[in-house]
Formats: sequence, C-alpha cells, structure tokens
Amino acid sequence: MTVSQEIVVETKGLTKRFGKITAVDELDIEVRQGEIFGFLGPNGSGKSTTMGMILGLIAPTSGSVRVFSMDVRHNLPSILRRTGALTESTGFYPYLSGRENLRYFARITGGVADSRVEEVLETVDLTKRADDPFSNYSLGMKQRLGLASALLGDPEFIILDEPTNGLDPAGMKEIRQLIIKLGELGKTVFLNSHLLHEVQQVCDRVAIIKKGRIITQGAVKELLNRKNQLQIRTTETQKAFELLSAQDWLKEVTRDDKRILIEIEPENSFKVSAFLAEHGIYLKEMRYFESSLEDLFLKLTGEETL
Amino acid sequence: MMSLIKGEISKIFKRRMTWILLGVMIVYFTIIFFATYGVASSPPGQMSAEILTQIKISLQLPGAFDTIFSTARTIGTLLIIILTASVIGSEYSWGSIRQVLTKKGIRYQYVVSKLVALLFYATAGLFAAILVGFGLSLVTSSLLGSIEWSFLTPGFIGETAGTFGWTLLGLLPYIALAAFFSFLGRSAISGIGGALGLYVIEAVLVSIFTSSGGWLAKIPDYLLGPNIDALVPATLFAHNPFLTSGAPPSIPHAIIVITIYCIVLISASLVIFQKRDILVG
Repeated sequence: MTVSQEIVVETKGLTKRFGKITAVDELDIEVRQGEIFGFLGPNGSGKSTTMGMILGLIAPTSGSVRVFSMDVRHNLPSILRRTGALTESTGFYPYLSGRENLRYFARITGGVADSRVEEVLETVDLTKRADDPFSNYSLGMKQRLGLASALLGDPEFIILDEPTNGLDPAGMKEIRQLIIKLGELGKTVFLNSHLLHEVQQVCDRVAIIKKGRIITQGAVKELLNRKNQLQIRTTETQKAFELLSAQDWLKEVTRDDKRILIEIEPENSFKVSAFLAEHGIYLKEMRYFESSLEDLFLKLTGEETL
Repeated sequence: MMSLIKGEISKIFKRRMTWILLGVMIVYFTIIFFATYGVASSPPGQMSAEILTQIKISLQLPGAFDTIFSTARTIGTLLIIILTASVIGSEYSWGSIRQVLTKKGIRYQYVVSKLVALLFYATAGLFAAILVGFGLSLVTSSLLGSIEWSFLTPGFIGETAGTFGWTLLGLLPYIALAAFFSFLGRSAISGIGGALGLYVIEAVLVSIFTSSGGWLAKIPDYLLGPNIDALVPATLFAHNPFLTSGAPPSIPHAIIVITIYCIVLISASLVIFQKRDILVG
C-alpha cells in the first residue's frame, strides 16, 4: 500500500465534554492518505466520541477536526461525499431487507448505481441473504451490511468502528483481509478497535487513547521494535545465563526460575543456539516473542486488559 | 433533498405500522357509521324526532360528508400523531439516524424530508378516509332510502375540496407537535406521549377556561383545538373534545393561529436537531 504525506484527517486540541466528564481531551492526531490507521483504547476511552466528531455527529467542545483539509463544521456534506462509515451499532431499518436498506442508502448518498449495491453485497459475502429482513440478521451479518453500506459510495476515506464485532474467527479474518485490500486500493482507513491483535495485523500506524488522551502514536513497526525477546530453556540454566550475560552482542539478558530471556533481533537468534552448543549447553526449548501491541499497551498504561 | 423525501415516502410505505393505522382508520369509520345507523334504525324511545332526523341526515349523502370530515379529523389527529412519532422516534431506537446523517450530513434536510413525507401521508390518509367514508355513506344512504345525486354540483365539489383542505390544515399542527416531542425526547414514546398528552390536556383546559368566563374564556381562542374546530366543525357523532358553548374563532384567526403553531414547533424541532449531538456506539 502507498502512504503519502498528504493528511486526510487532522485533529488539533480536540476536546469533548459531556457535563463534567471529559470524553476526549486535547486530542491531536493525523491520518495520512492511503494508510490504515488504528485507533486503540479500552471501552469508554473516547474512541467512538472521536469518530462521532470526525463524522460531524458530535460537536466538539473545543479544538478542530479537518478532513481532506476541510473543517468538519463548515464542509460536512463535501467531506461525507468522500467518506464511508461503519458506526458501532449498525443502524438499519429492521423491516427492510439488506438489499432494500442498501438501495435506500445508495439513493440518499446520490450517484450510486444499483449495480454498486450488488457489488458491495458480494464484497461482504451477503448476496445470498440480501433479501432477508434486516431484523433476521445475526450480529455478524449486521456488521457485514454496515461495512457494505460504508463502501457504497466507493469512498476515499473509510471509518470503521469495531468492524469485527460479532463475527466468528473466519468472518474476522475475511474482514481483516478486506481492510488490507482497501489499503492496497489506496483508501485511507480509520479503524476504531479495542482488539489489539486485530489492529496490529492490519494497521500501518496506531494511536493509543486512554481516558480521552493520546498515550502514544506512531508506525506499528516502530512502536513494536522496542521489545523483541527470545525465550530459551536449556540443559544448564545458570551456566547458560552467566555465559550469555557476558556477551556484549546481546542487548539484554534476564532470567527467571527456568527460562532465560534475551533481547535480540529475530534474524540473529540462531547465534544464541550456536554459541551455547559451542559451550556444551543444549536447548530444550526456544521461542521467539515478537512484542505485541498488547505488550506495549500494558507497558504504557498499566492496564490489565483492554 | 428530493432523494431524501422519496426515500422517506418509500420507507413509510413499506412499514407495517402504516397499514395497521390505515386498518384502524377503516375500522373506526365502519364503527361510527354502523353504530350510528343502528341508532337511526332502532332509536331509543326517548329520542326526539328532530335528533333522529339529524342522525339520518348525517348518514345520508350529501349530509354524510360532514360526518366523514369530522370523523377523519378526530381519528386522523390520533393516527398522524402515532405515525409521526413512530417515523421519527424509531430512527433513534434503530440507530439508523446515524447512517443517514453520515451519508448526507445536512441535518435540516433530514427534518424537512420527514415532515414533507408525513404531509404526503396525511394527505393520502385523508383522501383514503374520504373514500372509505363515502363508501360507507353509500351503504347507509341506501339502507335509509334512495340516493339523490342532484347534490353533486360543481359548487358542492368545490366546497368539499375546501373542507378537505381545512381538515388537512387541522392535522398539520399535530404533525409538528409530535415531531417536536419526538426530536426532543429522541423517541417515539415521547412523541406520542407529548402530543397526545397535550391534546387531552388542551381539551380539559378549553372546558375549564370556557366555563370560567372573563378574560380566561378568551384563552381557548389561542389553543389548537378550538381553532381547528372553527375550520372543521364536529357533527353530533364524531367525538370532539373541544366542543364549547362559546362561539368558535373566525376562519382567518384560526388559520393564523394554526400557522403560528406550525412555524414555532417546526422551528424548535430544527433548532433542537441541529444543535444536539447524535451519540455513537
């Protein structure tokens, strides 16, 4: 996917207060054209409120949101013509079928042909159930229809709020692949999620939000490079630990009861095995741990879980 | 804008509730006509000949048209309140309001499209009520004697069209009222409760103020019910909670009062909907 330096979404000092509660606090984020941007945070951290402000559904208390270099407050219709959104609770008309719902939204979007409705139904694998009433859909099917609706106008910028909610593992994988495909097509995707694993797999850059404030943001690769660990179990734990600790080509060596933890790049992990074998110590187990967003999140926030 | 209006009309058409309300209207008309016919065909002993004559006139063409319009006004008010509140309030409960606004973004268009679609259905519903009432009056007229079609002059048709317009005008403030309460409370229940509540309270107030005398007796002239009553007077058999012993306001006065109500309520709905956040998630 090609990420340009052109900024699609830019928030400056974005703040939203509901009475005494500050849902979003001085938020500064930038989403660049063609990137898949992950917006992470625990439930109630202000993700959906931020999304609402980007979409013009919620008025900021202070600060600004610019999309395609246009202020959301003054250019919302122009922005929405180029934007597709899947909101968290996918709202459709229960008495209409999936196809009728999409046709209605296609009509009010304007410039969307019926053939496009069929295309997006196919994309989200709902064609066979398209004539069922929406009220009969499972949560996963509702999510798919929401995604189809977001894609209707072939938007340049797509906001997805928890798109894999209610999906089974196979469905989650399909949606992940679809998001990656959207990125490859040059679309800019803003992905709201509390599923760290999901975000790590598809996003180019992420921002982590907690209690309405950004804790960190940056490229996923850069954020995760902070911690790559090799975990080994050997025939002689203490001796191996002493030998490895003395090596200056290893960044950090620690141990617990039976394991030795070594901070090392994945491509160099074979050197540890060879080094120990030279000293008559053999590996019983060797596992490489790539650091995850979850690790990073725990480290940065001290949260036990998302 | 046109796409939104067409979309609203299409959605209301496909709702089961629309057809249930139409069914309720037909049943109500049928009950009114046949219950009244029952009274006319076997009147209670104490009923005066004058009243009996009036009852028969109200069931026979052309006199039946008064019954048709006043019945349409009464049941139409209740049904349009339910339809309006439901059409607006359901969007909040289903969350579809977010979908619509993230496609269009112009909030006043959303409110206006709803109101235009409801006006369309109020007109269509009233037309259906006239047809149903006319059909029933053909039956009751035949049962009570033969039908004289000589009343069907251009003048009569024009007068009937005028009454149709007044009846429709009488429904508009209730659309605005139900819409206002639905937007205010973000639900169908608040729309129905608010509008029907005010309808009932106003009826009580009219009767209290009218019997009070003095300047208080003038207050009903500025309430909705008595002004609508000035446009479409009730017959003996269509229940009218606003029947007073006082003289109804003049037609120009009624039009001005009703128009002011509509403008104020629609403006308030637009302001509320424009200013409020549509919460996500």
